Amino acid sequence: METLSQLANGFAIALTPAHLLWCLVGTTLGTAIGVLPGLGPALTIALLLPITFKVEPTAAFILFAGIYYGAMYGGSTTSILLNTPGESATIVTALEGNRMARSGRAGAALATSAIGSFVAGTIGTIGITFLAPVVVSFALKFGPAEYFSLMVMAFATVSAVLGSSAVRGLTSLFFGFYLGMIGVDLQTGQARFTLGIPELLDGVNVIVVAVGLFAVGETLYVAARRHAGKDEIVPLRGSLYMTREEWSRSWKPWLRGAALGFPIGALPAGGAEIPTFLSYWIEKRLSKKPEEFGTVGAIEGVAGPEAANNASAAGVLVPMLTLGLPTSATAAIMLSAFQSYGINPGPLLLQNQPALVWGLIASLYIANIMLLVLNLPMVGIWVRVLKIPAPLLYAGILVFATIGTYGISNSPVDLILLYLLGAVGFLMRRFDFPTAPVIIGMILGPLAEQNFRQAMTISDGDWTVFFRQPLSATLLALAVVGLVGPRLYALYAARRLRDAAQPGEA
Amino acid sequence: MRGRERAPALPETAIGLGALAFAGLVLWQAWEIPVSPLYAKIGPSVFPYATAGGLAVLALLLVAQAARGGWQAAEEREVALDRRALAFVVAGLLANVALIGWLGFTAASTVMFVLVARGFGSRTPLRDGAIGSAVALVAYFGFAKALGVNIGAGLVERLLGG
Amino acid sequence: MLTKRDLLKASVALGGLSLLLGRPERAAAQMVDQLQIFVPAAPGGGWDQTARTMEQVLKAEKLIGSAQITNVPGAGGAVGLPQFINQWRGRPNALMVGGLVMVGALIANKSPVKITQTVPIARLTGEFEVLVVPADSPLKTAKDFAAALKTDPKKVSVAGGSAGGTDHILLGMIGKALGVAPRDLTYVAYAGGGPALAAILGGHVTAGISGFGEFGEQIKAGKLRALAISAGERQPDIDVPTLKEEGIDVELFNWRGVFAPPGISAAQRESLIALIEKMANSNAWKEELRKRDWTPILLTGDAYAKFIENENERVTSVLKDLGLAS
Repeated sequence: METLSQLANGFAIALTPAHLLWCLVGTTLGTAIGVLPGLGPALTIALLLPITFKVEPTAAFILFAGIYYGAMYGGSTTSILLNTPGESATIVTALEGNRMARSGRAGAALATSAIGSFVAGTIGTIGITFLAPVVVSFALKFGPAEYFSLMVMAFATVSAVLGSSAVRGLTSLFFGFYLGMIGVDLQTGQARFTLGIPELLDGVNVIVVAVGLFAVGETLYVAARRHAGKDEIVPLRGSLYMTREEWSRSWKPWLRGAALGFPIGALPAGGAEIPTFLSYWIEKRLSKKPEEFGTVGAIEGVAGPEAANNASAAGVLVPMLTLGLPTSATAAIMLSAFQSYGINPGPLLLQNQPALVWGLIASLYIANIMLLVLNLPMVGIWVRVLKIPAPLLYAGILVFATIGTYGISNSPVDLILLYLLGAVGFLMRRFDFPTAPVIIGMILGPLAEQNFRQAMTISDGDWTVFFRQPLSATLLALAVVGLVGPRLYALYAARRLRDAAQPGEA
Repeated sequence: MRGRERAPALPETAIGLGALAFAGLVLWQAWEIPVSPLYAKIGPSVFPYATAGGLAVLALLLVAQAARGGWQAAEEREVALDRRALAFVVAGLLANVALIGWLGFTAASTVMFVLVARGFGSRTPLRDGAIGSAVALVAYFGFAKALGVNIGAGLVERLLGG
Repeated sequence: MLTKRDLLKASVALGGLSLLLGRPERAAAQMVDQLQIFVPAAPGGGWDQTARTMEQVLKAEKLIGSAQITNVPGAGGAVGLPQFINQWRGRPNALMVGGLVMVGALIANKSPVKITQTVPIARLTGEFEVLVVPADSPLKTAKDFAAALKTDPKKVSVAGGSAGGTDHILLGMIGKALGVAPRDLTYVAYAGGGPALAAILGGHVTAGISGFGEFGEQIKAGKLRALAISAGERQPDIDVPTLKEEGIDVELFNWRGVFAPPGISAAQRESLIALIEKMANSNAWKEELRKRDWTPILLTGDAYAKFIENENERVTSVLKDLGLAS
């Protein structure tokens, strides 16, 4: 009951004309950014961080949340029409969505993805509404030992699901650890990795890293690939309405996708990739028309992953708001926005800033409605955004990258760092290293380190502190399960497969 | 295994070795961290050493993967680098660093804009220059100025009363 | 294009301007056309707010025409100060905002420049620190805390801001006053008072230290118990004893002040002091301080310079005891 009245207060804040306008700007900008291949919400929010100097926090976060949700919607449009995922989380959507578009069903694909995003996004937002206060109620029990164990669990799950690219993913993560440790050590005041450059004593700004990897790296990558053929935009044909059959094939995948996406997104380091792939796999198994998968495109393969994607985007906000733990690159950037206001996300946020948090949550409901309108009837506009000439687009991106970084510090050191990171980002893109783990490692790595050392200082050097406290011990046990579980299951599945195959061969 | 039959991949080997060299650099830098008498329990260099160690192990795994044929997607391998385009973009970035200090944001950005657009195949430098300076001015006045971000005013900005 | 001759002309003109403004008998009476304020920190922080509040008040009181604020963030001022000392040398209408944090940061980072190389103009505001425990803590008073600390400093963990910062310095001073070796203290560093709050409220540490503003709301709500404040005397409206009252002879303000660059004339220094005094005595300034909960602790000229030297010595010695300076 208290939650509902808080939410009502939140709506009272979010429905003021100014906040509605911020929400509209955010969702529009987010959709545009999501549509443009290679540009994501993390980069956009990083570039817009200077608004935190002038705009009040509630408005700024409504804007950022609109961008965050909007990018998820916009990304699917590009995946479907261009086969180039606009956002890493929409890779799966491209699999079936682009095939549907090629076989003349672009309209239905866009519709099921937009409506599915709306349904799952709303379910996810309801999830935040009710889960956040629950997490907060026991979050104060989290001391340094528990935080450290939680992060060990996060890293364990990340490495377990990276699969064949685990080595590259972990290399990215460790590179992030390195970047995060540059600067003066919090516990002892000693300079680390600064190479004697005084500008590095405060550490490397996460904005410089995000803009370097995502904007500069991406620009270099696209420039270097001009010899590669261009993807054709599939012209928008067919009606935007779904037939009765398409509806009946869509609604279950939406709900299943949301059910997968939200909880996995809310787990530390859950992210959006895992639930979208899981959802795709499940829908392929459950579909009555599996022959459409990978051929003419199956609508379930768009509906499920899109829903999972948006629900997980909502889920990611739960650990960020309640524990101060960012589990995606975008959340990491939002965390630094909180910090630039001197607001600390964590167990006390809901209590200290109820207007901000509930206004933000209410605005998420509103953003979903706006995005449904922006992305269905007005999809034609976004197709036109895809046609901005590349020279102007990328040159413009670099101009804004300059503002986003040089503007904060006025220091050429940051600009040089930005371009060095751009070169690294280029190599990472070309050699298929994921870039998001760099940002996550950069934020979570030092957090894990500091919590570990805080716990050890408090316990006066007693290592058993991590196992003695039940909460911490449970989390560590879960980490082991996360690390070993999938491998055991794979072993078990392989044996069953062999057992099943043997009679036939014998 | 399919991968075993492939010849070692040179670019990936270079990446792996580069990562190994980087791990060495991290190790050396971790060694340089002054040891503080404070909080001897877990000092400031424990995690840096662990990071260096982790990076070294991962780099060796990368080299091993490269020796077994690498991991780069076939499509990516076949696309030849457009060196000319890259050179123009890099020139644009360098020009920006070099000029922003004494010419100011707008002028430096315009130069960068023209060079980068050229790299992406534009053949109309004058038009690009006009668009670039417009974008930079809008960004400067509409964004930086309105938000009170101090972003290197130069000749152009002063002329326009920035 | 800019040519050497243009630059020459400009510098001659600037020189003339500074001569004009520097004339002693007119300086005090004349309005400063443009004041340049150097903030060795990122926009948004305490020093930046001080600079922007100064700009606002000085303009409203018609003491200056305009102000230009330059931010050079980094390492508690250790990045900005060398620039202020070298590149801003001799500028007549320039001020840098700084404070206790900078004194500590310069020492801890072994900076090649010293704050005493600037020309101290005035100390403006300060914030005292508060020592807190969770509401259900067995420690009822600062005397209980002192007794526990003396018995076994390893068992008394104290959370606060980064190592070597104001909170850590205060704990070091408390330890010293009680005869506990500062290196035996169990200090748990967080990114600031705010982030430390959850650990204190959750009972994961014994006590916490931070600026009063960071903990004020939780103290009012009864979730934290304030044991003592670091001010020299009781503060109106705050029913918390000082450390001195509790038998711990320590006084510490997290003060902020302004400095002029080296190389200015005595007359230029006098006119800046006069300007700041006028500002500090204006109603607009007092109103702003009240709004922001900043305590006015104005101290100017030679007394301020003396104070800086004392702080420098005091902080150096505490940081040495803590093992953070050599």
